[in-house]
Amino acid sequence: MKKFFLDAREMAHPEPFQISLKYLKEMSNEDYFYMLNTKEPIPLLELAHDKGFKFLTHQDSNKNWHIVISKNSQQNLEELLDV
Amino acid sequence: MFNQGGLSLDQAPPLSVVMRFFITASIFGILLGLFLFSQSLHITTLSSYSTQLITVHTLSLGVMASFMLGALFQMLPVLAGVVIKTPTTKAMMVHGLLTVGVLVQLFAFGVTSNSLLYFLASAYLGLALFYALYLMLKELIKIKTHSSSSKGISLALTMLIPTVIFGTYLLLTEGGFIHIIDFSQIKEIHYSFALLGWISLLIVSVSFQVIEMFYVTPSYPTNITKYLTLTIVLLLILKMTFILLEYPTTILTATIALLFLAYATVTIERLTQRKRPTADATVWFWLFGMALFILSMTVTLIGSFFTISSTLQHLSYIAFIGFALSIVFAMIYKIVPFLTWFHLSNQGYMEAPMMHDVIHPKKAKIHFYIHFVTIVIWLLTTDITWLGSLLITISFGWLFYNLIFAIKKYTYTQKHCEKIEW
Repeated sequence: MKKFFLDAREMAHPEPFQISLKYLKEMSNEDYFYMLNTKEPIPLLELAHDKGFKFLTHQDSNKNWHIVISKNSQQNLEELLDV
Repeated sequence: MFNQGGLSLDQAPPLSVVMRFFITASIFGILLGLFLFSQSLHITTLSSYSTQLITVHTLSLGVMASFMLGALFQMLPVLAGVVIKTPTTKAMMVHGLLTVGVLVQLFAFGVTSNSLLYFLASAYLGLALFYALYLMLKELIKIKTHSSSSKGISLALTMLIPTVIFGTYLLLTEGGFIHIIDFSQIKEIHYSFALLGWISLLIVSVSFQVIEMFYVTPSYPTNITKYLTLTIVLLLILKMTFILLEYPTTILTATIALLFLAYATVTIERLTQRKRPTADATVWFWLFGMALFILSMTVTLIGSFFTISSTLQHLSYIAFIGFALSIVFAMIYKIVPFLTWFHLSNQGYMEAPMMHDVIHPKKAKIHFYIHFVTIVIWLLTTDITWLGSLLITISFGWLFYNLIFAIKKYTYTQKHCEKIEW
């Protein structure tokens, strides 16, 4: 299982979106994408949903958003959360 | 791009919807430059009144309204989470009516004795703008929880309503269909709503969201995002009432200018606090635009209390035009590369050109230099010179070339690159 990681907290739009889309296309069924962001990336999540990905979002005590996206519908995403 | 609250990028209209407006706006800009060039060399010899009307309305309707309506068709799903169904057909109707309306209006201003042209111009422009307002406002009023941007955009669009009503009234008066007792009163109301309501408030509202997102800056203070747009609207309505009742409007105009000065200062401050400052032409456009807005509003503020020369008055108008154009250019160089890349990428083209391949940042920088020199020369001369006119033509010509290049990249990728399902 390969982790595609992106820390987008200091990135300007639309760079995080552009990189995320690249990762989502490259990911195999076993891989997952982990993103750290200051905001919940609704556009990305809607797109991921439309393309059949499963996702989980979580806001930590520092107000950072943790986003986990996987192609595998059986994957327990909460286990992958790093908070 | 970008809503933090409920968008769908998939609901973004096709690229053609936006590009149609942007290309037309660039062509109007080129035509304006050529017209002013011929006027400065006395190839055409229209009166200064006609030249002024043609210049102002080519800029405000042919250029600005085309850019702003095109951008709104694209940005409403994104910034406000609202969707205009079948956008292609509807945008085509607005675009067609607006383009014909502007052309007829310009001819009417050039051939002042033709009443029919004034009537047709008011009909086409009225239909185009009211139809666009209907399409957008009917979706915006359905929003249950407004963001500062969606609220501001709704208010800016609302300010377009009196702009169009009073504009139509003035056109019909020019055509001899009706008679206004005090033409200058209605004219002042018309341009106050157009410049300070519609154009300025739209820019302000959009900036609340895009400055932070595009440039990773601290957010605007809550007092500004919550109250600024509504306060300006109320002041403008009050100003209209005072003008009609023939009460002095000094304090109202000065307050509006002060509020915009505060906004522009905060925007510059935010842009200097970017977390990752890079040499980005779109930031330069924003900074230059805000500096010009400060200049324009400072002169307006001084002019509220003291008698100022017509040269200084002209300086204020030119600075305002420079402000509005700077922000529009900043937005275009963000919107067009992103949309081109996004649509291709979403369609499954693995080799979709990256954003900097669509319009290279260097090309945007070149445009900034041309635009900067154009506005500075215009400010220094406070009149239309052959050099200034030539620079206007080059500025819009360069934008036109960049937009055509982006379209060519888009169609080339669709024709020649391989698609994947993902």
